[in-house]
Amino acid sequence: MPYFPNTIDDQREMLATIGAKSLDELFSMVPGELRLNRDLCLPPALGEMELTAHIVELAGKNVSAACVPCFLGGGCYDHFIPAVVDVIASRSEFYTAYTPYQAEASQGTLQAMFEYQTLIAELTGMDFSNASMYDGGSAAVEAVLMALHVGKRTGRVVVAQSVHPEYRQTLKTYLANTDTELLAVGAKDGSVAPAEVEASVTDQTACVLVQHPNFFGCLEEVEALAEITHKKGAMFIVVFDPISLGLLKRPGDYGADIAVAEGQSLGNPMAYGGPYLGIMACREPFLRRMPGRLVGQTADRRGRRCWTLTLQTREQHIRREKATSNICTNQGLFALRAAVYLSLMGPQGMRKVAELCLQKSHYALERLTACGKLEKVFERPTFKEFVVRVKDGRMEKVLAAAAKQYLFPGVQLGKWYPELADCLLIAVTEKRTKAEIDRLADIFG
Amino acid sequence: MTPQNLLYAKTHEWVKIESDPAGGKIAVVGITAFALELLTDLVYVALPEVGRKVEAGQSFGEIESVKAVSDLNSPVTGEVVAVNADLPGKLESLPKDPYGKGWFIKVKIADESTIAQLLDAAAYDKQCSEEHG
Amino acid sequence: MRNTRSTQLLFELSRPGCVGVDLPVCDVPERPISELLPAGAINPAPLPLPELSEPDVVRHFVNLSTQNMSVDTHFYPLGSCTMKYNPKRNERLASLPGMVDLHPYQPESAVQGLLELLHESQYFLAEISGLPAVSLQPAAGAHGEMTALLVAAAYFRDRGEKRTTVLIPDGAHGTNPASAAMAGFDVQPIRCDEDGFVDLEEFATHLNERTAVFMITNPNTLGIFEKNIKKIVEMVHAVGALVYLDGANMNAILGITRPGDFGADLMHYNPHKTFSGPHGGGGPGAGPIAVAEKLAPYLPSPIVVKENGVYRLDYDRPKSIGRVRSFFGNVGVLVRMYCYIRTHGAKGLREVSEHAVLNANYLLAKVKHFLEVPHGDRCMHEFVASPVKLKNEKNISTMDIAKRLLDYGYHAPTVYFPLIVKEAMMIEPTETESKATLDAFAEALFRITGESADLLHDAPHTTPVSRADEVLAARKPVLKHGG
Repeated sequence: MPYFPNTIDDQREMLATIGAKSLDELFSMVPGELRLNRDLCLPPALGEMELTAHIVELAGKNVSAACVPCFLGGGCYDHFIPAVVDVIASRSEFYTAYTPYQAEASQGTLQAMFEYQTLIAELTGMDFSNASMYDGGSAAVEAVLMALHVGKRTGRVVVAQSVHPEYRQTLKTYLANTDTELLAVGAKDGSVAPAEVEASVTDQTACVLVQHPNFFGCLEEVEALAEITHKKGAMFIVVFDPISLGLLKRPGDYGADIAVAEGQSLGNPMAYGGPYLGIMACREPFLRRMPGRLVGQTADRRGRRCWTLTLQTREQHIRREKATSNICTNQGLFALRAAVYLSLMGPQGMRKVAELCLQKSHYALERLTACGKLEKVFERPTFKEFVVRVKDGRMEKVLAAAAKQYLFPGVQLGKWYPELADCLLIAVTEKRTKAEIDRLADIFG
Repeated sequence: MTPQNLLYAKTHEWVKIESDPAGGKIAVVGITAFALELLTDLVYVALPEVGRKVEAGQSFGEIESVKAVSDLNSPVTGEVVAVNADLPGKLESLPKDPYGKGWFIKVKIADESTIAQLLDAAAYDKQCSEEHG
Repeated sequence: MRNTRSTQLLFELSRPGCVGVDLPVCDVPERPISELLPAGAINPAPLPLPELSEPDVVRHFVNLSTQNMSVDTHFYPLGSCTMKYNPKRNERLASLPGMVDLHPYQPESAVQGLLELLHESQYFLAEISGLPAVSLQPAAGAHGEMTALLVAAAYFRDRGEKRTTVLIPDGAHGTNPASAAMAGFDVQPIRCDEDGFVDLEEFATHLNERTAVFMITNPNTLGIFEKNIKKIVEMVHAVGALVYLDGANMNAILGITRPGDFGADLMHYNPHKTFSGPHGGGGPGAGPIAVAEKLAPYLPSPIVVKENGVYRLDYDRPKSIGRVRSFFGNVGVLVRMYCYIRTHGAKGLREVSEHAVLNANYLLAKVKHFLEVPHGDRCMHEFVASPVKLKNEKNISTMDIAKRLLDYGYHAPTVYFPLIVKEAMMIEPTETESKATLDAFAEALFRITGESADLLHDAPHTTPVSRADEVLAARKPVLKHGG
């Protein structure tokens, strides 16, 4: 095994120094009756060449979105990743370091996290960002738990049905053993009605959770929703799409108290669902209830500016069962990737990529619905994603045709929304070309 | 030196009993020099709002150093009538005057029997020397 | 050579007009934005992000990277974190387009290779743990803990049992009590005796029909295999409660003993530790869980199943707790784990533990001559030193030693954990370090113990910055550029 540097001679010397007769003797504290007295039942070991052949073969049985046009979205998007992102993230010193417990030997990671926190705060218009969470779904849940702690109102959480169904399922799982009621507010027309939200928020409601643009790609009336929520003394939590902020108002601009997002779009590969990047930012009064790592600026003994983990008393290793969350690792590597991505993009790049998504998705919507065999389902304005109904029971046929043509046409909605069983959620990123969109239209036509 | 004119809780809060001009008694509450030394560099204190009901032996706030967090327990039962708003911004000077400018809250005592549970300076000093040993 | 200009903050390097990307021109007919979006939804101002060219960005971040220690550059004996070598082949293979450019909602027929890998991984983790049912969904170890506790809660709810308390030894990782609280349980800490074993007498007094789960880390956080584990498991099972095994220290027992065989009902893995994966400056990890057969119905959905030679995701699991995150799981981490297990095979995995334990014992044998190691002459994969004498006699703390080690070119061990050991210094060399490295490290530690207190109090002396003022950082938090 090339990963074990000690030779047989080394091992012999080491055992002698220890005063042990054999390797086996070192395990004497494991009672004999509990030992596994056989080999684990695993396939034989593979050398690098055999392993490579094996994984290449498995990879070959997957259809890579790198090779076929991907119109799938629903919280994970095929955005372009500049080469610089991969190059920086694969630097050994970032890649194989751990949580920066020793600040003096981790200034690289610490400063990168501080820059990430700054970039996210500016991107969202919120006061503070943490150094990241697992993914968008768990960030949304952690935001709700945070609101339950902040406000001491634990009776109810109001969630729009236009929030990602898997985020809502996650929330349901987390709240299963609490007394908090999870109340879903309908989104029949593709977004929630502010009046309905108003009727749902009681004086025991901790927060209102919406997504903007929402799971159907539609814009919500966030300003009205924020106002209603605040009037009733509850917290307003928004799940946003980081790419949309190249064009849309920022969560901090329309009154979000906590803003969370799936950060996969910011330079992270789709990777069949993870690992991803949970973004969380909040307003100043809630800072000490925010979960996750935080990096702060300070000075060293010579007065030089430097960085360190801070406000750690919120965290599990100090506060244990009273901690803001059990979260321990963040997604450091993916936060780094997002920081590199955002610094390459700058304001101009973010605006451009958002405009490309907007223009191309609207071209696609128009092109797809022109033939009459598809119809737009919701009238609300959309950003980069939209829902269409496949008319006349042709869904199976269309999907089969798409598979044959090596094209991923969209996400089927039936498993979450039975009333939308004949509908597809179609996402169009800056990577989709006019030719690809036209090909998609031809499949439906 | 532990001031002789104050009373103490086992959890290292001091109490100064004052009479309320409006009748009844007010407890001024802070934490002792002994506790401050153990806590080392303080970075944050969370204090309650005026009007909050507190109970003897129950937490009314938290105090943090870089590596630790401790509950602040109310030595008496009653209602918070004043909070030292200067304190959070001046934690570094708290150890200079823990029994004066370093007070935390004032509590209008609802149940005077809770005062009887508190230690005098000698008893508190004894407890500290036992803890230290 | 250190370049301090390029490591200024991005916002300080920003110059108006610079841009680091060249996006394509729009190839579809463009419409005025005002036709597509309501005016009220649009941000009238440009985003306040820094403006930099591509070379600016590269130079900035590459220079930042040089201010880190890492496993590829330094010995990193960070106890409990298992900072072993990350095989480069796994990185290359996990980055194949056919592995990484996969959308979570692409049809199952278009991810058969990956589903096969994940299905096999479920089996591997079951075999290694001796617990037959596996969920790959949790995103990190702590997430796995909470998920398993939610599974336990669902199990008891289904049986109509009201069990409210989770018992946790006081030497445990802070994630244990935090996860238990998040899963809705009350936490009862259990004292360890001075040798680091669970105090059975006290344990018995807390164990009753309200107990849901006993969480134990074994080998424990002192690097010692709990000698009473069999008795403990019997006591827990006798009151109808479940045993949770924190798998943080699996690196010590691969192929030696299995949690399922010593009586655990649930456990989590930290694949990024045990089976290697880039720690990335603090994540990503993954936190798959393995559970006993009776708990299988409650695992999160979906799990991967194989039917007639075809792999698919099974969502039809009515007793499942549901989801604990979006999408399938931290697949990228799991692919590396799979590669690692396939590279080693059964014999290789056993050797991982043998070498890890050999290295730890060797270092212990060298270090014990000049630093107190209070929990015996033998350990599993890590040990905890407690240099109290230096503290008392020379006023040299564990923190001083840790900082000085950085000057010698070593990352510091984990310090001040576990909380139950004074001046704790937790050292885990892992199996991928050589005797020569361990010798040099031991010698550096020895030299440090002879250095002057003044020198150590001001260490480190050679890092890009000296000791960071944590009090200042926490008192007046500056968490972004400009405040």
